[in-house]
Amino acid sequence: MKKMVGLSLAVLLVVALAQKGWAGESIKIGALYPTSGSGAVFGGPAMLGHQMAVEEINAAGGIDGRTPIVTFARDTKLKPAVAAAAAKELITKEGVNVLIGGLSSAVGLAISEVARREKVVYIATIPKTIQMTTSKLHPYVFRTAPNTDIEGRGIARTMGQLGAKKLCQIQFDYAYGHDLAAGIAKALPQEAAGAEIVLDLKVKLGTTDYNAYIAQIMSAGCEGVVSGLWGAAFITFAQQARPFGFFEQVKYVSGGEIASHEIASKMKGNYPDNVWSNAYELWYHDASPLHKPYQKELARRQGQQETGGWPVLSYIGVKFVEAAVTKAKSLEAEALIAALEGLSIETPVGRRTIDAKTHQANTGQFWGPMKKMDQYEFRMMDPVTYIPGD
Amino acid sequence: MGVVVALLCVPLLGSRYLVDLTTEILIYALFALSLNVLIGYAGNVSFGHAAYFAIGGYSCAILLTTYQWPLWLSFPAAVGLSAGAALIIGYFCVRLTDIYFAMLTLAFSMLVWSAAFKWRTMTGGDDGFVGVNVPALLEDRVAFYYFAVGVVSLSTALLWRICHSAFGRTLVAVRENSLRAGFVGIDVRRIRLAAFVVAGFFAGIAGALFAMYNRGMYTESAFWTESAQVLIMTLLGGMYSFFGPALGAAVLYLLEVSINQYTEYWPAILGTLLVLIVLFLPHGLAGLAQKTRRARKV
Amino acid sequence: MLTNPTFLFLQTLNAIALGMNLFIIAAGLTLIFGVLRVINFAHGAFFMLGAYVCYSIVEQAGNFWLGVLGAGLALALLAWAIERALLQRLYAREPLAQLLFTFALVLILGDAVKMVWGSEQYSVAYPAGLERAVDLGIAHYPAYLLFLCGLGPVVALALWLLLERTRWGRIMRAARQDREMLAVLGINVPLVYNGVFVAGAALAGMGGALAAPRLALTPGMDANIVVECFIIVIIGGLGSLWGSFLGALILGIVTVFGAVLVPEWEMVLPYALMLAVLLWRPWGLFGRAQG
Repeated sequence: MKKMVGLSLAVLLVVALAQKGWAGESIKIGALYPTSGSGAVFGGPAMLGHQMAVEEINAAGGIDGRTPIVTFARDTKLKPAVAAAAAKELITKEGVNVLIGGLSSAVGLAISEVARREKVVYIATIPKTIQMTTSKLHPYVFRTAPNTDIEGRGIARTMGQLGAKKLCQIQFDYAYGHDLAAGIAKALPQEAAGAEIVLDLKVKLGTTDYNAYIAQIMSAGCEGVVSGLWGAAFITFAQQARPFGFFEQVKYVSGGEIASHEIASKMKGNYPDNVWSNAYELWYHDASPLHKPYQKELARRQGQQETGGWPVLSYIGVKFVEAAVTKAKSLEAEALIAALEGLSIETPVGRRTIDAKTHQANTGQFWGPMKKMDQYEFRMMDPVTYIPGD
Repeated sequence: MGVVVALLCVPLLGSRYLVDLTTEILIYALFALSLNVLIGYAGNVSFGHAAYFAIGGYSCAILLTTYQWPLWLSFPAAVGLSAGAALIIGYFCVRLTDIYFAMLTLAFSMLVWSAAFKWRTMTGGDDGFVGVNVPALLEDRVAFYYFAVGVVSLSTALLWRICHSAFGRTLVAVRENSLRAGFVGIDVRRIRLAAFVVAGFFAGIAGALFAMYNRGMYTESAFWTESAQVLIMTLLGGMYSFFGPALGAAVLYLLEVSINQYTEYWPAILGTLLVLIVLFLPHGLAGLAQKTRRARKV
Repeated sequence: MLTNPTFLFLQTLNAIALGMNLFIIAAGLTLIFGVLRVINFAHGAFFMLGAYVCYSIVEQAGNFWLGVLGAGLALALLAWAIERALLQRLYAREPLAQLLFTFALVLILGDAVKMVWGSEQYSVAYPAGLERAVDLGIAHYPAYLLFLCGLGPVVALALWLLLERTRWGRIMRAARQDREMLAVLGINVPLVYNGVFVAGAALAGMGGALAAPRLALTPGMDANIVVECFIIVIIGGLGSLWGSFLGALILGIVTVFGAVLVPEWEMVLPYALMLAVLLWRPWGLFGRAQG
């Protein structure tokens, strides 16, 4: 009798241990976003989107019902040096399986280099510099964000439709600004025939005084301005430019997602006229059957119906990790790479597929003018046009 | 000596993180030791020492990666460039003293910073120089660690010889009373320039090591805050002792890494630490150690 | 571009507005150095704190001018406490000690701002009445910036009158020359020092509040301003009021025109300027050569 009980207990123990051994394995994700400083206006919401996706997955028991996600978050402060050090620490100290995130393009490139050296998969959810998937491409980096060529095409097409010919350009003096300018230059001949950039200004990322640049654009007499001033920089720029009568004189077409609700709700009545821009997601626009449930849950977390457009990118990044791990049935970097190449999933903003060769997802953006709304304090994009990523 | 043996054993503990940490501490220790030649021995406070660290680092990174030079050429060339820069910059700085000397070193180092920032094609500008072509032999983390231990130990030994030679004693004489030293026939300006170049030379070594360790250089390394950080390391450890700054570098670095795990307000803690040092511990930790040793002997 | 009158007009005004704003801040720095012989690294932190205090007051009370006054008051109180409790002990020590102390303040105050206001970027709107553009014929120009252009000389004049025509001013100038004699004459020297430090900090704070509508408030805004102030007082001469005025104007012009004319080297220009002055005439345009 005792032997029987002992044996069955032993069998039960072995089975229980075996279960725990498989279900107990979790995947560690290192999330790198700027949660302080001028990048926080987007980095905060990005982190929110990440957590939302992770909690959704873990509520079902984890990826495939059995591999929970553990997140290690680090603040990049928009500095590539800080991000590189954090990425290295996440790998060597915390032992993360996947790196995800980055916001600024310089940060993205720095993290990508660390990923390459340490042989860990990195999914760039927000950095757009084209270099990441061209000259600096390597097996371990993937991008679910759009890139500066795609965005440049969007800017050129919008400006072409507006018909402005004499253009001024203002961009940040780092990888994103330079690459976006190149993207615009590439697309301008096809999308906006006859348009020409007569003034090209570069501004240091983090500048807070734009008065000299504003004055120069005003005196150059341009009809249109193409720009990539994103985040809080646009808010400051607009505040300083309005008293000059800037937005009455030019049509301002900008990348950098300043049409996203985060910016619109922050600026409220101060959002200027004559601005066309892009956004990754708009709470008032359903581009996919998954959008309504996604937006509803986000609204619950943010405590208000009008949600911002930045959480969706990090959300999609985590969803891609989920799909990859499910397909690969392994956490090994090589297996994940094989799974990610060509992977296609449905997201709240449409179907996204990662190209097997360039590791770039076909992520497009929503473009349109920002109109003043009678029933709301903030502006909204109307009409919304989707410019695809391929 | 015991320290060297302990250092050699670090990789045996098997932690990648620990090896990285120790490598960085070694590099910063050398950086602080180099600054002390200027502050502790020559008595000239420099606010721009990061310039030579940055020049050494960027040069090494660029020569190795963009120009594909072999290490045994790149490394000395990088150090040579930072020593050369120290010679040129020092030539102008030693004509001034005290606050004006400090301001001039600051101005020059910010000039270096803006060059690093603007010369995108060479240095990568604000994005940083990402990706350094480290020779295959040193690719492995532990291999590089031993290389760093070797270079830093050798440099420290050299610095020791320099600071305890006749030259070193002359420096101290000039620091204590430059007028009298001049009367005795010492060319004060020349001596101070020599100290400046020595400091720049070893800072360049630290910088070149850092570029290889970090596989990249960022403009932060040339900004005045980097100069301030190494200054604090030197003072924390004790500028009147030879090894003090190395101790200061280790303590400061470890403190920063530990405290950063619990709070993001490391600068406030560092600031408070600095106030305490200034008010109560002007001779740094080394001074404190000496006082306790003396107290115990009695 | 230099032949474009609109361009010249707008940028010159920009340069003056920037210069005058910088002057108000740098005046405090030069005052502190002139009398106390302390290089106040924390001056940028005072500037930043002033801007944030102004922001909070504007959020609560809605009045910008109250914000400026409040910033000045807040900094005055803070400076009084710092000088009384800590800085006083360091006057007898070597300059390095005082420098390090003020640098420590930079670190502490910087984090204090983060702790109280968070890491987000804030903006302060132009004050009511000055938020419009003024039609100056050639072009429109923000009224507030014009106001700054005018305020600078007014402040300079007020400070000059204070230094030259009042008893307090005479005491301050005497403290610059010979502190021991001052003590012998029965003047309460510690009080004078305290007063000067407080005044300098208040100027920085108000300068920060005045700058708030022009910039974005973000932790880290102190790092740039302190180097700019150093450049100004070096050019003008440590301790000289009119030197700071001129230095600020020069820096304003170099910054604004540099940014648009030579964008490749715009960053280098202020430091090159500082270098040139230190190499040619270290005591600045209006300073006195040290022994």
